[in-house]
Amino acid sequence: MSKLITGTYSSPDIPNKTFQVNCNDAKYLTTNGKTTGSSEYVLKAGQIDRDRPSGPRRLPDGQLTYLSQLRCNLTGIQDDINEFLTERMQIAKSKKTKLTDTKEEARINDEINHLLDGGDDDTEETDTV
Amino acid sequence: MVNLNGVKPKNGRNYYIALGLEGSANKLGIGVIKQPLLDSTLTGDNSHDCHTEILANIRDTYVTPPGEGFLPRDTARHHKNWCVRLIKKALAEAKIENPSIDIDVICFTQGPGMGAPLHSVVIAARTCSLIWDVPLIGVNHCVGHIEMGREITKAVNPVVLYVSGGNTQVIAYSENRYRIFGETLDIAIGNCLDRFARTLKIPNIPFPGYNIEQMAKKAQHKDNLVLLPYTVKGMDLSMSGILAFIDGLAKDLFKKNKKNKFLFDSKTGEQLITVEDLCFALQENLFAMLVEITERAMAHVNSNQVLIVGGVGSNLRLQEMMGQMCADRANGKVHATDERFCIDNGVMIAQAGLLQYRMGDVITDLADTVVTQKFRTDEVYVSWRE
Repeated sequence: MSKLITGTYSSPDIPNKTFQVNCNDAKYLTTNGKTTGSSEYVLKAGQIDRDRPSGPRRLPDGQLTYLSQLRCNLTGIQDDINEFLTERMQIAKSKKTKLTDTKEEARINDEINHLLDGGDDDTEETDTV
Repeated sequence: MVNLNGVKPKNGRNYYIALGLEGSANKLGIGVIKQPLLDSTLTGDNSHDCHTEILANIRDTYVTPPGEGFLPRDTARHHKNWCVRLIKKALAEAKIENPSIDIDVICFTQGPGMGAPLHSVVIAARTCSLIWDVPLIGVNHCVGHIEMGREITKAVNPVVLYVSGGNTQVIAYSENRYRIFGETLDIAIGNCLDRFARTLKIPNIPFPGYNIEQMAKKAQHKDNLVLLPYTVKGMDLSMSGILAFIDGLAKDLFKKNKKNKFLFDSKTGEQLITVEDLCFALQENLFAMLVEITERAMAHVNSNQVLIVGGVGSNLRLQEMMGQMCADRANGKVHATDERFCIDNGVMIAQAGLLQYRMGDVITDLADTVVTQKFRTDEVYVSWRE
């Protein structure tokens, strides 16, 4: 039996995340991935998907060939990684919106206060970062 | 002195075999070519006459429904899932039984193009190179078009008009570079035609430009040309404004906006022009602009030959207009190829790549196989020409 593929991910908040193949799970035994299909947008536009990957090939005894097994395992692990990264992106996105929201609020408040203070005179403007 | 025979074919053979992989846009092309070892390529400037034999030229296009363009992710998926099947088919057609013995070099498109599709194909190229132990060559897509055009038409030193969905350039050779004399300032001509086809919601099969050409033939008011902006800027041209303008006209036509006096008679409300007339006007206008800058480039470099390459180059009306211009010049001649070689294909990548290989240019480090979306025609050092 050849070695199974694995994947690792690390970032400051997640030091070591491992992705592994579970040979008993059906998702590591197909070449049709959940996240590697056509875009939803394209399917909605009426696209007929004729670009599916070919199915895995089996030996006469029913076993998957080495390359087919590798393709299947990769499809499964790719799904895991895609789902994990999408989730991470969503978290990052919501953090960013919150951050920009509060920043924007502070900027508007500053501007109003500045005007209320009579700050619309000829004082030279300086860029603040 | 150019010696194209410096690198000898594998195993003491008297011919070279190259596999070309192309996938910079929505077409996946696999080509296999054979070039004999000739005495004529030992010295002199004969890179346009290598007696190339095409053993396989297979293409599969990612087609989207009418009104839709092709997205990078789905195009990359198409290439990824079809690449191996197409390579197998091409090798069978070329009767190549053992690629590691029979193939001299694997050529792939390094750029310019859409990042994700380029990436799908280069992975296949690297894998084949490692499995078969065959060297790799990265090819500039535009140079591929030029070299294939030269080989097919035997044009020695033409001004090249490269018109496709992603590029619009007028090119002339000078001192080991294909130099760009004029180009689009915004969108490519093929993109302009494709996007208009999307507005009209006409099919993308076989390709949108072809369907516009067929519609233009049916125009009923050819003598009363719809006036469109004519935007030649020196040696360059701009097409986004024309597209916005004609898109507006088409939308008004569909909405039956009788206030538009270009389209409807202001008194009777009678429709003056049809969608076919718009297609005709768009072609005439864009092609006239191309002919103008091409003619000026010919005058600059004192050339009397034009070679039209790229997908839009298969448009017969463009070839006809270019022919009219050339007929007015002393010994003027237009060279064009048909859709097998005009439209993106693997053979052209094999052709340019094999020339590079025969001049001793080969990738030794996989790190040099990284594809790039931006890769200008004049960045390539053309060692195979005087």
